[in-house]
Amino acid sequence: MSRASRYQERAALRRSGPLMWLGHIGTWFYVVLLIAPLYYLLVSSFKSNTDVLARPFSPFVKFSLANYTAAWERADLGQALISSAYITIGSEILSLALAIPAAFALARAKGKIGMWVERIFSLGFLLPGFACLVPAVMLSIQLHLFHTREYMILSMPASAMPLSVILLTQAMRAIPHDLEESAMLDGASSWKVLTNVFLPLTVPTVTVVGILNFLSFWNEYFFSLVIIGPDKALRTAQVAVPALSSQNSSQFGVLAAGVIITLIPVYLIYVVFADKMEGAMLAGALKG
Amino acid sequence: MSTATLAKPTKRQAKPHRAAAAGTGARNQSSRLQLLFSLPALVWFLFFTIGPLGALFYFSTLKWAGLIAPRIPNGIKNFTDLLVSPVFHQAIINTIIQTVISLPIVIVGAFLIAYYLNLKPRGHRFIRALLFTPVLLSASALPMIFSGVFANQGMLNGFFKAIGLTDLSKTTWLVSDDTALGVIIAVTIWGSTSVSAIMFTSRLNTLDSDVMEAAELDGCGHWRRIWLIAWPICLDFIGVVTMLQFLYTVFSSGAVVLLLTKGGPINASTNLSFLVYDYAFNQSKVGLSQAVAVMLFVVGVIGLLAIRRVFRQRY
Repeated sequence: MSRASRYQERAALRRSGPLMWLGHIGTWFYVVLLIAPLYYLLVSSFKSNTDVLARPFSPFVKFSLANYTAAWERADLGQALISSAYITIGSEILSLALAIPAAFALARAKGKIGMWVERIFSLGFLLPGFACLVPAVMLSIQLHLFHTREYMILSMPASAMPLSVILLTQAMRAIPHDLEESAMLDGASSWKVLTNVFLPLTVPTVTVVGILNFLSFWNEYFFSLVIIGPDKALRTAQVAVPALSSQNSSQFGVLAAGVIITLIPVYLIYVVFADKMEGAMLAGALKG
Repeated sequence: MSTATLAKPTKRQAKPHRAAAAGTGARNQSSRLQLLFSLPALVWFLFFTIGPLGALFYFSTLKWAGLIAPRIPNGIKNFTDLLVSPVFHQAIINTIIQTVISLPIVIVGAFLIAYYLNLKPRGHRFIRALLFTPVLLSASALPMIFSGVFANQGMLNGFFKAIGLTDLSKTTWLVSDDTALGVIIAVTIWGSTSVSAIMFTSRLNTLDSDVMEAAELDGCGHWRRIWLIAWPICLDFIGVVTMLQFLYTVFSSGAVVLLLTKGGPINASTNLSFLVYDYAFNQSKVGLSQAVAVMLFVVGVIGLLAIRRVFRQRY
C-alpha cells in the first residue's frame, strides 16, 4: 500500500462512525480475552499458592522464583528439556535430509512418476495423524523401539514430509534451468548440483520449513505420551509439565512456572525469526 | 566457466531450452536417475504414515482388549457395537456441537479482526505480535493454562467474585454437566482464532487496494466492503483456513479434553478424538478405539469435502 493511500485509510478510519467503534471495541475486547489467561499464567508463576488463590490478579505480590525451582525439580524438567531438544534436533536433521533431496528430484522431474510422487505427498495433508495413535504404538513395538525417544525421531519427520517436500519443491522449481545445465556441462554430479546450486538458493524456504517443523516437533504431545511413556529419564517436556498438575492439583503456580519454562525455547525462536513466522504460517496454510 | 555462468543467471533465462535438442536423451535419463533422490522420503512417508493408516482399518475389525492381549477377528461387530453405544452417540453429538459452534465464530471473528487490522489502526503491530502467542503453545500447554483459568478458585471465578457476582463465582466449570463442554469449546476457540486471524491478515494485505478505494468512493461502508468485496475475493482462501480449523477442532481437541475434563463428568464433554485415546489406553478396548478412529477418519474426509464445496470460488 502506498503512503498516500495509507493516509487515506487512516483518514477513513477517523471519519467512519459507529461501526468503526464497534471494530475498536470488539478487537480490543478480543485482545483482553487473549491476554487475560497469559497474564494470569505469568503472575501466578511468581506467587505463592495462597496468593494465587487470594489475590488472583494483583501482579507479583511477593516476587519469588520458588515455583520455578519447584517445577524444575519435581518434574525433572532439566532432563525433560534435554530429551525434547534431542528429539527435536534429531527429527529436524532427518526431516531436512529426506525432504531436500526429494524436493530436488521432484522439482526437475518430467514424467508421470514424479507427478504421482508429488500427488501422494499432497494427499498426506489429509491424513489425520492422530487417528493412527494405536497403529503407531504397534509399529514401535514391532521395531523394538517402544518406550524409546528414537522412534519419535524416526516417525515425526514422516508426518512432516508432505509440507516440507511440497514447500521445498515449489521453491526449487523456481530456480532457472540454465544454472544446473551449465554446472552439469562442467561435469558436476546431481549431488553437486543440489549442494552447490539448489541448496544455497533455497535457504529462505529451508528456514521456513525448519521453523514449522521445529514448532510441531517441540510441541508434539500425544505420541510422545504413549510411545515414549512416563519414564522420567526419557519423557519430553510436553509430557513432563502436565504431570505437575496431576501431582498437586491445587498448586497452579508451580504448573504455570513449568509451562513457562517449556515455552521459552519456542519463544526465543519466535523472537529471532519473527519476520519469517508469518510467511511460514501462510505457506503452511496455503499448501495445506 | 561454471562460476561465470552462475554469477549471472538472469540474463539467460529467456532461452531455457537452448541445449534441449542436443541433450534430451541424456537429460531425461539424468532426471529419471535424479528421481531416485525422492525415494527415501517417499518410503519413509509411506512406512510411518500410510502403513499405520492401513493397519488402522484392520485393527478396527478385531476384538482386542489391550496392546499385548491376543487379537481375535471380530468382523464389523465393533462398528455395530458403537452404533448402539450411548457414549459414542454422546461423542458424535459433542463433536458436531463443537464444530458447529466453533467454526463460524472462529472464521467470521478472525476475518473481522483481520479486516480491522488491515486498516492499520493504532496498536495493530502490538495486536499482530500478540496473535502469535497461542500459535506457540503446545497441545499440552494450552489445557494446562486453562486448568488454572477454570479452576474452582481460578481466574474466572476470581474475576466474578471481584465484580460481585458471588453466585456465578461458585461455578465448578470443569466438573459441571452444563459447563464442561462449553469450556472445551471456549479453549479451542481461544487457541485457534488467532492463527486464522494471522492468515487472513496476510491474505487481505495482498488485496488490490484500488478495489477497496473505488468501493469507498462509491459510498460503500466498511460493513458492505467486508461482506460484498473482501469476503468473496478471499473465498477460496477462507475455505482452506476453514479446513485447517476443522481438522484442528475435530482431531486436536482430544488433548484439551484429556487434560482438562477427561471427558467428564460422566462423558458430558467427551468427543471422538478423546474417545480414540480413552478406549485404547484407559479402558482396554483397543479394537473399539480403532473403530472410533476409522469413524473419525471418515468424518474428517466428509467434512473436508463438504467445506471445499461450500467455499468453491464463485466467479
